[in-house]
Formats: sequence, structure tokens, C-alpha cells
Amino acid sequence: MSKPVRKLIILIVFLIISLLLGISIGSTNISLQEIMNVFTGHTSDNIRTLILNIRLPRVVLAMVTGATLAVSGSVLQSVLENPLASPFGLGISAGAGLGATIVMVLGLSGGLIGFFIMPVFSFVGGLLTVLLALLLAESPDTRLSSYTIVLIGMVISLFISAIIDLISTMSPDYAQRIGLWQLGSFAVRGWRSVFILTPVFIICFIIILNYANMLDVMTFGDEQAIAMGIDIQNARRKMITLVSVLTGTAVAFSGIIGFIDLVSPHIARRLFGASHKWVLPGGALLGGSFMILCDLISRTLAAPREVPVGSVTAILGSPFFLYIFLSKRNKKNV
Amino acid sequence: MFEIDKLSCGYGDQKIVNDISFNLNPGERLAILGPNGCGKTTLLRGITGILPSTGDIKLNGDDLRKMSSQDRSKLMALFTQMNNVSFSYTVMETVMLGRYPYISGKLFSKPSKEDYKIVETQLKRFGLWEERNKLITELSGGQLQRVLLARTFAQTPKILLLDEPTNHLDLKFQVELVNHLKNWTNKEDRAAIGVFHDLNLALNFADKILLMDKGKSVYFGDTENLDINELNRIYGFDVPNYMYESRLKWKDLKSNENENLQKSL
Repeated sequence: MSKPVRKLIILIVFLIISLLLGISIGSTNISLQEIMNVFTGHTSDNIRTLILNIRLPRVVLAMVTGATLAVSGSVLQSVLENPLASPFGLGISAGAGLGATIVMVLGLSGGLIGFFIMPVFSFVGGLLTVLLALLLAESPDTRLSSYTIVLIGMVISLFISAIIDLISTMSPDYAQRIGLWQLGSFAVRGWRSVFILTPVFIICFIIILNYANMLDVMTFGDEQAIAMGIDIQNARRKMITLVSVLTGTAVAFSGIIGFIDLVSPHIARRLFGASHKWVLPGGALLGGSFMILCDLISRTLAAPREVPVGSVTAILGSPFFLYIFLSKRNKKNV
Repeated sequence: MFEIDKLSCGYGDQKIVNDISFNLNPGERLAILGPNGCGKTTLLRGITGILPSTGDIKLNGDDLRKMSSQDRSKLMALFTQMNNVSFSYTVMETVMLGRYPYISGKLFSKPSKEDYKIVETQLKRFGLWEERNKLITELSGGQLQRVLLARTFAQTPKILLLDEPTNHLDLKFQVELVNHLKNWTNKEDRAAIGVFHDLNLALNFADKILLMDKGKSVYFGDTENLDINELNRIYGFDVPNYMYESRLKWKDLKSNENENLQKSL
């Protein structure tokens, strides 16, 4: 068995442990034996309902969301040749959030139709934001250097968050919902979200994995990519659209959650090297595990109240981002 | 074999390179000379399709513009100055990326045995075999330059375009590279085009010269027939005289060393 495959298996085990922890710990603690009993049918209806209808969908949604954001981050970092890029940092998540906010305020978010309209609006919001960020970054700096894009993304992100706040203040009926959702949460989303996000993730992931080699070449810069026969404009458009679909769908269901998209690919690169055929699956597994654990912290830290999961990822992720940013400045690489 | 006819290109509305024409026979090596900003790099970018251009680019009579970019990249490789090395690939992985035109396009494409063989040959040729598992983010400038050169050769093109390939290389590797390029072009139907700032190296490398000034071709032809007056005019000083002076210094150095040697004996 090759080394990277062995590492992937370790990450799968880590994910399974995270899943079991996520299911068993909470307002009512459930033992491993009881979790097993659910599948063999020897358990009380209460525990059964708690696991199958509340814990499990929540934990699975957190897992898929984490994986989705991690893959978005890996792709975006390659396409922008920048290890500091992420959908959250670039404002894609905020843009997707604005799209979803508009759906809520227009009163379209209810019912089955709303369930499908939210992701579409989020996707469009995310895509428009990243296009705006690239447009703004390219005009002063055609080489899209790390700092320009990170700075512009930050400004756009803040700007859009302010707009969301503005909309929320002007629509008091929805203010509380928007406010909570802006910080991210996996509470009471149910299986429906899982059934939409999961296929979107799997399809996009397979398409992206098939471009792993191309993503590798693209990290070396446009000039190299073109010289190796990559239609760079087309490739970039395709990849950014996929990132927007992934981020948009994730944000539509769970709100704006940062840092998982930045941290997971980074740790995956430390473990597997930079090659995308390993970073993509490795990052997805890590992102899934991290999100489950962050969600676990979010609902147990101040129980019975919940800390928004976006705050948990930010508290843990910000120091990490600073660490990469500063070590990058010192060593000129990550 | 390789024909460029009236090629013009630039950035946006600004034209940098104007009506450049030249042709190379199999086995020939062309050095592009000219001062900074005369359009050498821009010309290479135009030929490889990084910049949009007008004019003809033909290889063995086939119009390279009409080919898919993937097919074109199997015939023509570019070694550039513009490389972003911020991700920690290993030396081996980086050189394997040179095989990209041959392995892309297939579902979950993997390198073949032949791809591995080509990469191994290039790693050994550039003295990188021992370093193959090192990360490129941890290499010195010269090592990195050799990795990127190995990657360009791993693309197994017919036409090789090199933009200042000897940067960061010590003298030994500079000479080795030029010798390797001579061997390389002498096999099969191949030709190489290089931009060098070191005129000695350029003359050593090339059998044809393209002299450029302000985006225009001033001279194209055999190395021996290069008009020295034109060269001096473009560079703004007496180039051969400068070369000759430094040669005299070498001579002095050598004789001093001999004297020292004699004294010590």
C-alpha cells in the first residue's frame, strides 16, 4: 500500500471517530452500544428518533459541508496560485450569503420551492462576488499577487456583510433568522439539506478530481499553464463556477462558515504534499472531520445554548491563518 | 522546418513586437539578442500563444495556430522566467508535470511507464535524481532552475523556446546546458530558440542570430555574418572590444597564477 493511501485510511478512521463522537455527545449522551443498537433495532423509540432524525442528519450535514468547503478552498488556491485564498476570505461565502438573504427577505425561503431557490441564489451571489473580486484585483495587479487578492477579498467580504446587516435591519421580521444564519449553524436542518448538498458535492468532487493534474499545472502560473496546452481562461472559468456551486449550496443550508476552507487544504498539503490528486480527497476528509468537531464544540460549549459554529471555526481558525500568513512572509513560501 | 512570418504581438492595444520573420532548419539553434525591453520575451510569448498575435507560425508546413493547444504543447515547449513556486511539490512531481500534455484529457489520467522513464532520464541529466523527493519550495535558485529546465525537456517537444535559461546557474551548469542543447538539437527534427543576456554564451549556443531593437528585427542570419556595427549601435557601446578587454584580463590572471605557481615551485 502506498504511503498516501495509508494516510487517507488514517483520515477515514479519524472521520469515523469524529462521526461517532458527534452522534454520541450532546444534550443527552448516547453510548456507542446504543448507537449500534439503532442499526440492529434493539433500542427505545426515543433514542432512535434522537439519533436518526436529529443527531445523524446534523452530523452528516456538518461533514458534507466541511468537505464541500475544503474542496472549494483547495481549488480556489490552485486557480489563484495562492495558498491564502479561500471562498470565505475572498467573499464568495458572503456573496452566497447575500443571495440567500435576498431569498429569505422576499419570503421565498419557505416550502419545497424555497429549498431549491436558496442554493441557486447563493450560487449566483457567490459567483458574482468572485468575479467582482477578480476584476478589482486584476486592474491594479495583473499578476494577482497574494496580498492584493487577500486584501480585496477581505474588503468585499466586509462590504457584503454590511449589506446583509442593512437588509436584516430593514426587515425586522427576518432579522433574527438572518443574524443566526450569518454565523452558521447545523441545527434543525434535517435530512432534506443532506439529500441536496451530498449529490452536489459528489458530482462536483468527481469532476474536480478529474482535473487534479490541471490544477497542479495551474499553481505554477498562467504562462506555464498556457505553454502546456491549458486554455487558461476557460479552465479558470470552469473551476470558479464549480467553486461557486459548491460554496453556494453549502452556504444556502448552513450559513456563512469560514476558515475550514483555508485550514483543511493547508493541513492536507502538509500531509500529502501539494499534488491535488491527494490534497482534494485528503482535504475533504479533514474538512468533514473538522466541521463535525467544531459543530460538537458549538453545541456543547455553552449548553443548553449553542455557540454559532462560524464563531467556533473563526476562534480556532484565525490564529491558524495568522500563522500561515506570517510564516509565508518569513519564508516566502507555505 | 520552423517558420515565423510577419509575427506581431503586444499587450492590449500596445504593440511591442512588429513584423518579425525567421525560419529554422532541423538541428538549428537561434539566439535572440537585443537590449532590455526590445521585445525578446514578448516575441516568445507571441510564438507560444501566451499573447495573441498576428502572422504565421508554421512547423513542417503545419499551421500551429490551427492546432488544439494540447497538440501544440506536444510540439513546442517554453521555458519561462515567470514561475510561481508557492506550493510544495516534490522535484519528481514538478518534472512529471512536463508530461501533462500527454496525460491530460483522460479520465483520472495517470502517467504511463514511458512517462516515468522520460522523467527519470531528465532528472538524471540535470543532476536531480538524488534530490527527486525534495520539495521545490526548499531548493536554491540554481536547483530550482534545473528542475524547471528538466520539466521543459520532459515535455519532449520539437521546438524548444528558452527565456534566459542560464539564470541562477553556475558556470559549470551553464556550459553543460549549452552543450546539452547542442546534442539535443542534433537528434531528430528539432530546433531551439534561446534568449541569453550573456553574449558569449549566446554565440557559443547559436548558429543563427535574430537581433532585435525596439520590437523590430534588425538582423536575422548566420552567426558568422552578424554585423558588428549594428550590434554596437543597438547596445550603445563597442561590444567586441569589451569582450576582448575581459579576455585580456583572463590572460593576465592566468599568467599571474603561473608566476605564483613558478614561485611556489
